Amino acid sequence: MNQVAAKSNAIAKKRGNESGLFKRMLKNRAIYLMILPGLLFFLIFKYVPMWGLIIAFQDYKPYLGITGSPFVGFEHFERLFSDDMFFTILRNTLLLFGMNLLFYFPVPIILALMLNEVRHAMFKKWVQTLVYVPHFMSWVIIVSITFVMLSMDRGLINEILVMMGFEKINFLLSNEWFRPMYILQVIWREAGWGTIIYLAAMAAIDPGLYEAARMDGAGRFRQIWHITLPSVRSVIMTLLILKIGDVLELGFEHIYLLLNSMNREVAEIFDTYVYTAGLKQGQYSFSTAIGFFKSVVGLMLVMAANWLAKKAGEDGIY
Amino acid sequence: MKKSHGSLLLVTTLTASMVTACANPSSAPSDQSGNSSAPAGPAKITIMANLHTAEVPSDTIEKMVEEKTNTELTIQWVPDGSYEEKLNAAFATGSLPQATYLKNQTSLLMFRDAIRGGQFWEIGPLLKDYPNLKNLDPNVLNNTSVDGKIYSLYQERPLSRQGVIYRKDWADALGLPEPKTTEDLYQMMKAFKEKDPDKNGKNDTMGLTDRNDLVYGAFKTVASYYGTPNGWGEKDGKLAPEFMFPQYLETMKYFQRLHKEGLINQDFPVTSKTDQQNLFITGKAGMYIGSLSDSQSLYQKLITVNPNMKLDVANRITGPEGKAGIWAIPGYGSAVLFPKSAVKTEAELKQILSFYDKLMGAELGNLIYHGIEGKHFTLVEGKVSQVDDLKLTDREIKPYQALQVGGENTIKGFKESYFKIPVKDKAEKLVKDNNSILIHDPTAPLDSKTYTEKGARLQEGIKDATYKFILGAIDEAGFRSAVEKWQKEGGDKIIEEYNASYQQSKK
Repeated sequence: MNQVAAKSNAIAKKRGNESGLFKRMLKNRAIYLMILPGLLFFLIFKYVPMWGLIIAFQDYKPYLGITGSPFVGFEHFERLFSDDMFFTILRNTLLLFGMNLLFYFPVPIILALMLNEVRHAMFKKWVQTLVYVPHFMSWVIIVSITFVMLSMDRGLINEILVMMGFEKINFLLSNEWFRPMYILQVIWREAGWGTIIYLAAMAAIDPGLYEAARMDGAGRFRQIWHITLPSVRSVIMTLLILKIGDVLELGFEHIYLLLNSMNREVAEIFDTYVYTAGLKQGQYSFSTAIGFFKSVVGLMLVMAANWLAKKAGEDGIY
Repeated sequence: MKKSHGSLLLVTTLTASMVTACANPSSAPSDQSGNSSAPAGPAKITIMANLHTAEVPSDTIEKMVEEKTNTELTIQWVPDGSYEEKLNAAFATGSLPQATYLKNQTSLLMFRDAIRGGQFWEIGPLLKDYPNLKNLDPNVLNNTSVDGKIYSLYQERPLSRQGVIYRKDWADALGLPEPKTTEDLYQMMKAFKEKDPDKNGKNDTMGLTDRNDLVYGAFKTVASYYGTPNGWGEKDGKLAPEFMFPQYLETMKYFQRLHKEGLINQDFPVTSKTDQQNLFITGKAGMYIGSLSDSQSLYQKLITVNPNMKLDVANRITGPEGKAGIWAIPGYGSAVLFPKSAVKTEAELKQILSFYDKLMGAELGNLIYHGIEGKHFTLVEGKVSQVDDLKLTDREIKPYQALQVGGENTIKGFKESYFKIPVKDKAEKLVKDNNSILIHDPTAPLDSKTYTEKGARLQEGIKDATYKFILGAIDEAGFRSAVEKWQKEGGDKIIEEYNASYQQSKK
C-alpha cells in the first residue's frame, strides 16, 4: 500500500517537474530559440555523420554503399590490435603527447605571464604581434624552412657546426632528433598564439588585488605567484582538459611532412598510419576503425581528466 | 502503396525510387528514346582528365575536336597533384564522368576490385569493330586487363625512359670517357666530387643527385644495371620479389658506398624532385639518373646558369654480370575506363568508343598531340618542331596531350617529333634503344588478392629497410629480417598467389 502510494507520488512529482520545465521553456522561448541553430549544427554536422562509423564494422565498398556492404564485426579492430606496429604507434603517440603536455603546454602560460608584466603598451603590442605570426604559417612552410636549415648538404646549421669544428648531424634522417625537432616546431608555431586566452584572463583580474598586495609589500614575483596565477588557474585547467581530449590528434600534416623511412619507428602515429595503411589504398573500413578507436580513447581521457579536476576542487568543463 | 503507412514510408519509397532511377535509368523510357534519336545533335561526352600545366587550358583544340567528331565535350580538368584524391571522391559518391582517366598503373590496380565488381564496361570484344582502336597493342592491353578481360583504352608510353644524364664538360675537364659500367659510374662520381671538375678551387661538388624515390629516382635504374629483376623475377621456375634476389643486395651495397663516401646528396631520402634537379642545375652535382626525357628541361635551365656547359646522356651500362638491361613499365601511361554509373547503355558506350576511335585517327591524333601547323609547330624534315613559345604550348597543347589514346606506335600516320637540342635528340634515341634491352615485370597482367589489399603497405617496410641499409642503420641480417617480416605478414601469400596466377597464364 505504502509502496504504491510512494510510487504514484514520485510519478506525480516527476510529471510536475516535466510540466515545470516545459512551462519555463515556453516562458523563455526566445532564449531557447537562440540555441536552436547551435543544436542543429551539432545534429547535422556532428551526430548525423556518426552514422558513417558503421563502416568500421563492415567490409565497405564505395560502389555498394553503407547499406549494401557486408558486415564483418570486429575484424578491422582485431587487425589493428594484432598489427606489429600497433604498440609502436601507441607508444609514439603517447610519448609525443606527453612531450606536448610537458614542454609545450607551460610555454604559453609563462609567455603570457611575461607579456603581462610588460608595462609599455606599444612595445607589448609589438611583441604580441611578433609571436602570433608563426601561427599563420602552414606546416608545409615551417617544415620546409627547417629542412633547408638542417639539411646535410649545405644546410645552415650543419655548415655552422662544421665551421665550429663539430661533425655534421643528420637531423632529418635520425630517430634521435625527430622528437626534439617536432616539439620545437610546435612551440615555435603555437606558443605565441596560445597566450591569447591567458592574456585575456589576466586582463580581467581586479587591479585592486595588486594594489592591496603592493601595500602589503609584495614584489613582482609575489604578485605573480599569489594573484595572477591563482586567478587564471581555472582557465589553465579547462585548457588542459581540452588538450587531453586531443591526445591522439597530434596534427597529421605536421608529422606526415617530417616522417621518413629513417625515423618511422619514432614518428609513425595513428593519423599517419591511417593515411598510409588505410586511405592511400582505399581501405575505408580499416581507417574508420582506427578513427573510432582514437575517438573512444580521447573521450575516456577527457572524462578522466574532468573527474580529476573536479576532485581537485575545480569546475571542470561539464 | 497504402496511404495509411504514413508519410515516412512515402518519403522512403520516393527516395528509393529516385535512387534506383539514378542508378539504373535504362529502365526509364526517356533515356532510351535519347539513343534512337541521337544523330539529331552532337553527342554529349563527359571526361575527367588530369592537368599537368598550371593554367586552365584554352579551348581552341577542344573546339576543333568537337567539330570534327560531332560531339559536345565536357572536360573536367583536375590538377595532377590532387587527381587521385578527386578520383576517389568521385568514385565514392558515384559521380564519375563517362570517360574516366586513371593516371597510371597504380591507380588501375586500386580499381581492380571495383572493376571486378562490375562497375565498368568491358570493352575488349568491341575493339575489333573500330578501325583505329583495334590497332592498340594486345600485349599492353593484356597488361591492363583484369581476369583476362579488357576494360580500358590506354595511352601509350615508351617502355623505358631510364638512363644517365651527366655533365660532359666536367667529364672532359677530368679526361673521363663515357661510362660503360657501374664501376665507371662510380669512378665518375668520385672524380666529380674530389677532383674539382668545375675548376673553381673549392671542394663544393658532388657526384650524383638523387631524390626520395626508389623507383623513378636512381635506385631502380642502377638495380637494372646490376641485373635485378623488375619488381618480380623468376627464380628456379617460380616468381619471387626483386628484393629476394642477390642483385638487389648488391645494388644496395653500391648505394651504401656512394652515401658513405659522400658521392650522393646525403639527404636523398627526403629530397624532392625539384631540389634534386636544383642541385644539378646549380652545378653542385654532375650526374642525374632517372628519366632521360628530363634532359631537355635540365639543359634549358642549366644553359641559362652556365652557357659553357655541355650535357650528355648514356645508357646500356653493365654491372658485374656484364649484361645490359633496363626496367620497363607495362607500356601504358593513363588508362581510360567507362563507368556504368555514367554510361547507361551499350549504345552510349559505342558512341563514346567511336569518338575515341576518331581521336586515334591520324588527323585528330596529331592535332591533340602536336597542335596546329604554323601556330604550334613547323615541319622540319617531315618532323614536328614545336614553336619555342612555352606559354602558348602549355596553354593550348600540353593539356590535350593528356587525352590521347594510343601513341606513336599505334596511331597510323602519327608525326614524329624533331628535337632542336642535341642532347634531347640523343636521349630520345636512347629511349628507343632501350626497347631492345627491356626487363619486364612479369606480374603486370597477374593477380594477387593479398597484394591488392596489403601489397603497398608491406612494400613500405621493404622501402624503409632499403633506405636503412643504404644509410648504414642496418646490416644484411637486418635487411633479411625485414624481408622475413614481409613474408610473414602476407608476402608468402602474395608469392603463392602470383605463382598460381602465373601458372594459369602460362597454360
